[in-house]
Amino acid sequence: MSLVNFTTREITCKIVYYGPGRSGKTTNLQYIYGCVPEDRRGKMVSLATRTDRTLFFDFLPLELGSISGFATRFQLYTVPGQVYYNATRKLVLQGADGVVFVADSQARQLDDNLASLQNLQVNLLEQGIDVRTMPTVLQYNKQDLPADLILSPSALDSALNFRDDPSYPADALTGVGVFETLKSISELVLKKLSQESPA
Amino acid sequence: MSEQFKQALDGITRVRGVRGALMVTDDDGLIIADAVMEGVRGDAVAALAASLSARMAKATVGAGVGEQHFLHLQAENGTLLSMPAPNGVLIVVLAENDVNVGLVRLEMLRAVEAVK
Amino acid sequence: MSRVRAVEPWIEDPLVRFVTEAGARLTLIMTPSGQVLAQHGFTRAVDVMAAAALGAAIVSSTREIATTIGEETFRALNHQGIQHGIFLAEMATPRGPLLALVVYGPESSVGLVQLFYEDLVQELVAACPDEEPTKPVIAADFERDLHNSLAFLFGR
Repeated sequence: MSLVNFTTREITCKIVYYGPGRSGKTTNLQYIYGCVPEDRRGKMVSLATRTDRTLFFDFLPLELGSISGFATRFQLYTVPGQVYYNATRKLVLQGADGVVFVADSQARQLDDNLASLQNLQVNLLEQGIDVRTMPTVLQYNKQDLPADLILSPSALDSALNFRDDPSYPADALTGVGVFETLKSISELVLKKLSQESPA
Repeated sequence: MSEQFKQALDGITRVRGVRGALMVTDDDGLIIADAVMEGVRGDAVAALAASLSARMAKATVGAGVGEQHFLHLQAENGTLLSMPAPNGVLIVVLAENDVNVGLVRLEMLRAVEAVK
Repeated sequence: MSRVRAVEPWIEDPLVRFVTEAGARLTLIMTPSGQVLAQHGFTRAVDVMAAAALGAAIVSSTREIATTIGEETFRALNHQGIQHGIFLAEMATPRGPLLALVVYGPESSVGLVQLFYEDLVQELVAACPDEEPTKPVIAADFERDLHNSLAFLFGR
């Protein structure tokens, strides 16, 4: 749940990068961390295993600056993708304002993408959240791989994007699509905030 | 509570006017063993006495009079006594103002022996 | 000068008293998902957010451990370091559960922190107002501001 302070005019939103293991969630955050000026970001906290797989979460706080006169901060989280870490995925998902689903574009990963998307839905429902009301953006990562190994963005849209959410092809390692994804989820989250409880 | 500690604290509480006796860790102010009357907040006495003792220890060293051996604080409605023991333990006693401090101090020294 | 900053103003007075009496160096009051409601002692907002995220994660994960051994939850957790201790606890308020994260140095102790934490909880419960109705906060034309902010962040 976003936090809005009317007195000091501040907004803090939580965005969770979700998706199957090794789809590139941490890479998204690492790219953002590398791009953003030091005074606008905090330390990137990674709770990872010794082999650099995300164990609990990665966390990156960002200062967006002033949006409609509100000092706006985003907290970016990733979840561990592997199936057996569902307990921690649920914990990280608590209080999320928006979700970026990072799919692995490789054709052989389609089942894992579907399983993770389904798992997202179940975990949100367990918290009493209808996935249709949660601002969501899809990112089809690893589009730089050879064409015979991957599915095209339109094929992935047909397979994964049931609600016609915004979707972006990406290569998170080099940053392609990372900015567009973040911009899109930011817009959706802030739009929802501006529409909630009309005066 | 170990029998040894219990006996040491019982020795203190047998002195007339003692409301409670505690063994406390001097750095974190938590209770190791206690024998306090109903109505005495043991956790509060432990935390505050440990804090006070730590400050007094700095004060005595700062004043050039060395390590503290015994603290006797007389307040409006009672008396607080504390004595450092080995291994980071502090003996704390809460008593009435008319308590025989000499006798309590003797029993506290016995409690210090029990901690060694 | 008080170094307490509260997003929710009703937290400020109880927190100032707690910090003064317990001798805490850093304190956070936050929601279980890690959103900060008030803080003392941190200098940068982004550092506060990282501490809150980690603190909330510790409480969440230990609650899960508690559940597996048949405990409802742990009342409080204390991590003892050489120079600093960290005290983490969950409290029930009329606004739902809140978490407190307290960092203290050798001038304080876990005993003192625990002692005054109980007072803090009582004061917060007493001061807690009913849920405020949410109001629209972002103007409809926020996209331009957002675009400029993100473009600046990404150097575009």
